[in-house]
Amino acid sequence: MKKSFTVTICLIFVMTLIGSVVLADETMERIEKTGKLRVGFREDSIPFAFIDPKVGKHVGFSVDMTHELVSKLSEHFGKKVEIEPFTVTSKTRIPMVANATVDVEMGSTTYTQEREDVVDFSLTFFFSETTFLVPKGSSIRTLKDLNGKRLGGARGTTNLKAIEDQAAKGLFKPKEIVTVEGHAQGFLALKTGKVDAYSTDRSLLEGLRMKDTNPENWRTCDFAIAYEPYGYMMRKNTSDFRHFLNDTIRWSIKTGKFFEFYDKWMGPKGTVPIPISPAYKSYLEVIVYPMQDNWWRKK
Amino acid sequence: MGLAYHFDWGVLWRQPYGIWLLKGVWLTVQLGLLSWLIALFLGIFIGTIRISRWRWLRVLGTTYVEIFRNIPFIVQLFFWYFAGPMLFGKTLQFHINAIMGLNYYVAIVGLGLYTASRVAEHIRAGFASIARDQYQAALSTGLTEIQMYRYVIIPYALRIVIPPLTTEFLTIFKNSSIAMTIGVAETTFMSYKIDSDTFHGLEATTGAMVIYLILGLSVVKLMGILESRFRIAGLMGRK
Repeated sequence: MKKSFTVTICLIFVMTLIGSVVLADETMERIEKTGKLRVGFREDSIPFAFIDPKVGKHVGFSVDMTHELVSKLSEHFGKKVEIEPFTVTSKTRIPMVANATVDVEMGSTTYTQEREDVVDFSLTFFFSETTFLVPKGSSIRTLKDLNGKRLGGARGTTNLKAIEDQAAKGLFKPKEIVTVEGHAQGFLALKTGKVDAYSTDRSLLEGLRMKDTNPENWRTCDFAIAYEPYGYMMRKNTSDFRHFLNDTIRWSIKTGKFFEFYDKWMGPKGTVPIPISPAYKSYLEVIVYPMQDNWWRKK
Repeated sequence: MGLAYHFDWGVLWRQPYGIWLLKGVWLTVQLGLLSWLIALFLGIFIGTIRISRWRWLRVLGTTYVEIFRNIPFIVQLFFWYFAGPMLFGKTLQFHINAIMGLNYYVAIVGLGLYTASRVAEHIRAGFASIARDQYQAALSTGLTEIQMYRYVIIPYALRIVIPPLTTEFLTIFKNSSIAMTIGVAETTFMSYKIDSDTFHGLEATTGAMVIYLILGLSVVKLMGILESRFRIAGLMGRK
């Protein structure tokens, strides 16, 4: 008897909740009411969101994108919207988004199926690519060129697994897959000619290349054999807010702001230089749909 | 949900993990046996020249032993793999680095060279334990010095050093796991690989432990048979 009563109360409560969600996106409502966007930032996710030791503030590509978002939100509501920053870590970011401590996490979170069950994601804004570092004059230019080559990867990395999996599927037929203990050892193996190409994330490969005494002797390949998409993370069922964020990303690509931010953090003179691969560039171009000026205006 | 670790011993035989482990064991056996061949023959040779009459030979033997037994094996292995080919000059180095499965060969040679220094010390101790009058008696029967070693001293010494050599033979299988650091996919490598694939590291490591234990016990048994087969009555303590 008592139990069914509780259940009924709960049901009514849930119905009311669902009702309110259907009527309006509470995130947008709350932002308008408080004039604050609560954002979770990482402190160590270079160059996407990290603390600049000189000013002690969150900076990075995704932080710049957040500033772009609040400027559009300000215009949308016709009142100043400010960023209220929260520090999140790789462990706390999902709970803090799911329990509504923050409205959105703007960093470098990989979009996965398991996470999609708990939170919602924005459009993918970046791909961490598994590709190869090769000597400048190497004949490896496309996936097919990997046939008959010796490929290196570090033990226990997703990159090595990607090589093994794809080679097993027959996408390319390497002569040998050489396992090394770490990226420094992998680069050494490449330098001494034990492997023809060394594989890990493009950003890490660029980091290795830049640390070499002659960075111009090496290059990363244009193609990739695996992708990890990065997205911004928000609570489930906040579709108006998600739509607004996605349009901000599209608009920034259309107007070139996106590439300004990219150049600032990942351009040739940026914190971590990562060349934009042709695949990534095409992706950014195709996700932009025709947009009206002043799309952010309240209808 | 729960913090409890759920054991899944199936990772030890489920495919492809079971095959991985078997491949790993096969490589461990190859590494152990092949490098033992190098270690045994080179070790006996080095041990013998360390008691030779000629000073320069003794110096050569001592230098070898002191270099190889005083540098950690993991450092030696890394050196042979990455710097070793450079010792052969520019053109040859290129061809050596292009050898398929170079890390496998480097591991066998490296482990053999390292263990040889330890075998050499045991052999020298074996020689030292043979009474001087044995040498004199051998020479007085008209044997040349080389014949004395070949027919009298070395056969004695080898029997005396069987127990310490058993230990070295065991150690070579255990040390072969260090070949993992240059990417040789032996037993330990495979158990780590199963761990990173399934997150069942406890089972994979336990599997590796049992495999090493079985390998070790087989070596002990084999050497025990050898010892009793070649025993000379009165030479060593009675059984």
